[in-house]
Amino acid sequence: MATTLHSLLDQLRETRAWKSVFRRGPALTNRTRSQAVFGNLFLHWMPVKVREKSLAVRASYYLGSISFLLFLALTITGILLMFYYHPAVPQAYRDMKDLRFVVSNGVFLRNAHRLAAQLMVLLVFLHMFHVFYRGGYKPPHEFNWVVGVILLLVTLFLSYTGYLLPWDQLAFWAITVGTNIMSAMPVIGGKLRFTLLGGNLVGENALLRFYVMHVVVLPLIAFLFIGIHFWRVQKDGGLTVRSKDDGKE
Amino acid sequence: MAPEEMGKVSYRMRLVFAVCSLLFVATLAVSPVKDLLREWKHYKRGYLNLARSRPDTKRLIADFRPDLDQIWIPEMNVVDRCTSCHQGITQATLADANVPQPYRAHPPIPHRVKEWGCTPCHRGQGAATEVAEAHETTLAWEQPILPGRYLEGACGSCHRDARPETPKLNRGRQLLESHNCAGCHHLQDIQRAAMPGPDLTNVGTKVSRAWIYKWLKEPRTVLDDTGSVKVNGYEMEESPRMPQFRLSEKELTNLSAYLSSLRSHPVAPYKFSPAVLAQWSKRPDVVDQGELRFRQMFCSTCHSFAVTRAGETKMIGGEIGPELTKVASKVNPDWLVAWLLNPQAYLPHSKMPRYEWSEADLYKVTRYIQAKLTDSDLLSTVPQLGEPAKDEIAEGKKTFLEKGCSSCHAIEGMPPQKDFGPDLSALGSKNVSQLEFGKSTIPRNLISYIQSKITDPSSVNQAARMPQYNFNAADLDAITTALLAMTGPPPTSALQKLTVPRPNPQFRPAGEFAQVYERYQCADCHKFNGFGGDLAPDLTYEGSRAQRQWIDSFLKSPQTLRPTLIFRMPQFNMTDREAAILADYLSMVMQSPDVRPGSLNVKDLTPAQAALGKQLYEVKYQCQSCHTIGSGGGYVGPNLNNAGNWLKPEWVAAWLANPQALIPGTIEPQRSMTPQEIKAITAYLMTLRQGGGKAAQKKAAVQGMSRGGNGVAGQ
Repeated sequence: MATTLHSLLDQLRETRAWKSVFRRGPALTNRTRSQAVFGNLFLHWMPVKVREKSLAVRASYYLGSISFLLFLALTITGILLMFYYHPAVPQAYRDMKDLRFVVSNGVFLRNAHRLAAQLMVLLVFLHMFHVFYRGGYKPPHEFNWVVGVILLLVTLFLSYTGYLLPWDQLAFWAITVGTNIMSAMPVIGGKLRFTLLGGNLVGENALLRFYVMHVVVLPLIAFLFIGIHFWRVQKDGGLTVRSKDDGKE
Repeated sequence: MAPEEMGKVSYRMRLVFAVCSLLFVATLAVSPVKDLLREWKHYKRGYLNLARSRPDTKRLIADFRPDLDQIWIPEMNVVDRCTSCHQGITQATLADANVPQPYRAHPPIPHRVKEWGCTPCHRGQGAATEVAEAHETTLAWEQPILPGRYLEGACGSCHRDARPETPKLNRGRQLLESHNCAGCHHLQDIQRAAMPGPDLTNVGTKVSRAWIYKWLKEPRTVLDDTGSVKVNGYEMEESPRMPQFRLSEKELTNLSAYLSSLRSHPVAPYKFSPAVLAQWSKRPDVVDQGELRFRQMFCSTCHSFAVTRAGETKMIGGEIGPELTKVASKVNPDWLVAWLLNPQAYLPHSKMPRYEWSEADLYKVTRYIQAKLTDSDLLSTVPQLGEPAKDEIAEGKKTFLEKGCSSCHAIEGMPPQKDFGPDLSALGSKNVSQLEFGKSTIPRNLISYIQSKITDPSSVNQAARMPQYNFNAADLDAITTALLAMTGPPPTSALQKLTVPRPNPQFRPAGEFAQVYERYQCADCHKFNGFGGDLAPDLTYEGSRAQRQWIDSFLKSPQTLRPTLIFRMPQFNMTDREAAILADYLSMVMQSPDVRPGSLNVKDLTPAQAALGKQLYEVKYQCQSCHTIGSGGGYVGPNLNNAGNWLKPEWVAAWLANPQALIPGTIEPQRSMTPQEIKAITAYLMTLRQGGGKAAQKKAAVQGMSRGGNGVAGQ
């Protein structure tokens, strides 16, 4: 059975179609393996080689990776939710009701999106604390630390813009209070609030702006900076792992 | 890690991975399983089972689909999924009370369910497909289903006019209006009266300080165990409009001091002429004569008073004016005479007509009121008060303003307190979270809040300024219904178009007629173009109905057309000129567009037709079962003895053809008579005349009046 499968796979690797997609042969040596990583769009920002101890649980608790996986889960559930959602008053709240009462697995979909978002905020913070206490902000990681802070802010802002979308009382007042705090900023506060809400009140315009921010602008920024973040992890020499033996990092 | 070791995973790790995967799949399966077991699917199956157990299965499941059902009316913002469970609402055969809910048919209503949806009337959450969410107050929905007994409140959200199908709502609105709720609160569609309570500018000239004290303490209202309202110990249908203000002894003393000091225009005592005094003051029967005159003038059409007959005490009389059983213990004698002569001089908006008095009548009637309508014990519980002190007056004035008295009572120089209480025009759509329940233990919902606030305002708010109203259970429900109807402006423009506005009829005549009309306050009892009271016949088409000569003589001496009535037209002692002005105006102006004047002339009706008419009247149509002619006949319709002098022939003809077209809602049935029959019966009725000359009419009038007098006394 196993041999049949292997021979089938081998035959497949010989086909023209396979070769057109994967231009290199089987990765049998370290050289071909690293060539495979370099030549792949999705893998090329990963390090070609990692130290074994940086894969251990205690090295990172996988906090960054889980945050990224949650981000992917949020993207998928978010796209599904977009099929049922209209950023309009009062239809937005009715869509919540429809998700609850009519759409198959609608409650699951909403809760998955909401819980994943809350979990992501939590994990992003834990990730930051972990990196901080490990001294991950020190040279040569300063730039990646700044990128991380930007990602933290983007995560928080994604969470905040998503809060308004159900268009219920909680949402309305949370955004009212939040934007009022913003308007206390000297000089630009009032203008900023007006720009964000598209008016002086939390209304239809605010809902639309928050929706566009939530589903287009912020996710694009997040993807961009996540790419930079991952890329720099590799370029800056991998994870900062505390060495048990010599105390070096 | 060496390349050969890659891909090799320990058995333990594989186990952990397998268990985690299984747990993950199981977690994901929860949601689809929940989807399969939704509540509405259970009710769908239940309906199928029910339909199969009944003989007309085929018809019951003709429209059945296993999916969600919904009524979607975009222009009304309605998405009602109620029919997913309530599947039988349009199936006539499921109307039986044995059919279990939620499958029972909807009772017949003027609206078609599919065109109106469910939540516009029943409220609740139409989008929900779960029992609790659809019907109750939940975390995400605060407008529960309206309980059946208050359902008329939902009608009132759109139907701002009074409809015969909503008696409870109409009663509630009437109570809100008559109890001057709009004096303090802003209410939907109920306008604030110019000044709802009596003007108190000169109240010190009318009543004593002791009486004011007593009245403020207990405004005649005593609620007994059964919840019915008693006034002075007698049962009343209407409760007095003045509510109870829960005042302390100190406040009572101060307020009574302030009010009794209000006498800016003192009344000069009326001087009866020596001739009248000489003739009547010494006569032993002056009180009895006064009582006779009081009855003949039909004061009881508007005023009630207690009468003891055969050991049983009862209230008799109308409710337009105040109850008079103990009036002489209340008002000063000089004020009483001045009032009877010209009520509008004291209260410009009084409904009381200005009677034309002879001096002897005035003397007799006031003597009767002072002797009989009195109670020496009335003020025995009031403490000794004395002359009002300066600081008491100042304190009383402050209390007057604090309690919001000037919302209802005008005092010269004191501005009215408009909107003293909270705005209630959208109370019906208030959410529970917006209500203040204080320390009370009542159920947390809008209905129990409204009811306990009205019966005891301090129950939900210790510092409430609102007075206490003692409504019986039925009236409390009616008021609650009317308040629940106040849901504010319609949420959508489509619903706005559906709203039936409240008619605001006004009848403002001009000229000489207006003066007489206002003097005798005709609109207290009669309706003119939809405006006025309900006690007496609608006079909108009186000019088409009655002959001018008859109107004139009736006004001068009203004789009853309907002997079973308790309330009669009062004898105003009108002058000839006044009667002529009223008769001219009524016959010229108050015309029906459906009756052409002069289209049928009495001269064209032959005796042969009249003879045929008599036969039709007595045999074919049996009119005598309701109407009286001569000494025989029924008492449902008016007496026709004098129809020839009273009615216009063209009116009779039009009336016989289609009574409801002339007066919608009349109980006179439409009998589909042929034009020949109509002419014949008209001819017969036109031959019915009592007397001929004026003298005979006068005699009849006197007889009618004395019969009427007995009628009242016998009630």
